[in-house]
Amino acid sequence: MSFEDWYRQDRLPHIFCAGCGNGTIINCTLAAIEQMAWKKEETVFVSGIGCSSRAPGYIAADSLHTTHGRAIAFATGVKLANPDLNVVVFTGDGDLAAIGGNHFIHGCRRNIDLTVVCMNNQIYGMTGGQGSPTTPRGCISSTTPYGCAETPFDLCELAIASGANYVSRWTSYHVKELEKSVLAGLQTPGFSFIEALVQCPTAFGRRNKFKQVSDQVDYLRTHTMLKAKRDRLLDQGQHIPPDMYIVGELARRNRPALGVK
Amino acid sequence: MKLAIDETRCKGCNLCTKVCPYKIFKEGKKANRRGIIIPELDRPERCSNCRLMHLYGRTLCGVCQLICPDQAIHWVEEQPYEPQKVAIEY
Ligand SMILES: Cc1ncc(C[n+]2csc(CCOP(=O)(O)OP(=O)(O)O)c2C)c(N)n1
Ligand code: SF4
Ligand code: SF4
Ligand code: SF4
Ligand SMILES: [Mg+2]
Repeated sequence: MSFEDWYRQDRLPHIFCAGCGNGTIINCTLAAIEQMAWKKEETVFVSGIGCSSRAPGYIAADSLHTTHGRAIAFATGVKLANPDLNVVVFTGDGDLAAIGGNHFIHGCRRNIDLTVVCMNNQIYGMTGGQGSPTTPRGCISSTTPYGCAETPFDLCELAIASGANYVSRWTSYHVKELEKSVLAGLQTPGFSFIEALVQCPTAFGRRNKFKQVSDQVDYLRTHTMLKAKRDRLLDQGQHIPPDMYIVGELARRNRPALGVK
Repeated sequence: MKLAIDETRCKGCNLCTKVCPYKIFKEGKKANRRGIIIPELDRPERCSNCRLMHLYGRTLCGVCQLICPDQAIHWVEEQPYEPQKVAIEY
């Protein structure tokens, strides 16, 4: 079997724009799930609202496509009602960190046994490109036409500070690393948070000088630094460029968790 | 096994052309009936997965398939006695 067998073939091709990174993240997540040898009947996918949140609709397992921002709240209900189920949440940066911000930090605090994969395209993709809590400073969106003046959230730092047991960040370019990281998240009891930076050519790329899909993916490739390298440079007292995204496993620990099988 | 792009799914984003270590995917030139420029395959028989998938019983490499956001890349069985080209990369 391969990860392709988790797709609802009758629903493909999906509605994501050409080059949208969401499809890549679903591939990597399903490839990790495939290695867990979970049964489809024992697996539930939960999401909120957004392009990224459409993911469960393409997967051949039970799913809840809930209200905007509430994926983690619904997933908490599913997991606590039946801890035998394997619960995976797909969410977007707006869904997770704007309207759903409180559910996110309290999910981490309670350390519920969920795996949350956030497709962070740094924009509200579905509604036409409004700025989100992760839009980088200076980036153009329909609500920040002169460049975003706010400082974005670091979603991983937020998850670590709030108590999640497993936290990592990768991008849509680092497919193998992302797959391994989701697998580690699925295997870790407690709240696992995986942030995947993705390109959104339609709502973000076009406005921010990424003409081709691959331009934005190249940007993600060249603007990431491994956590190990960052730590080494810090030890040597060297400067870390401020526009670097730190990737890799950022936390793995064993705080008391809720809803573990 | 044979590497193939599903023309009904590919949206022509060219991400596959960025990741293959053998540069098997090349940017296409002609739009198809749906107006999408599908990448061309340059000697796909060099793909390590085509040759070794059955032997190892798992997907080898497979990076193009993972990154393809439109689930368009897959491997198909060859016909019995289908003539095969062999390319050796040094
Ligand atoms: C309660 C509520 N408020 C606002 C909306 C409108 N809305 C739909 S999707 C969305 C933003 C989605 O952004 P994100 O979670 O980043 O997903 P993306 O489309 O970028 O993947 C908003 C504000 C809504 N559907 N429901
Ligand atoms: S708007 Fe952006 S996030 Fe939504 S499908 Fe298109 S590229 Fe993907
Ligand atoms: S599996 Fe690897 S070697 Fe084969 S075509 Fe894809 S990227 Fe190239
Ligand atoms: S990555 Fe997939 S969708 Fe994009 S051009 Fe290649 S085959 Fe087509
Ligand atoms: Mg978004």
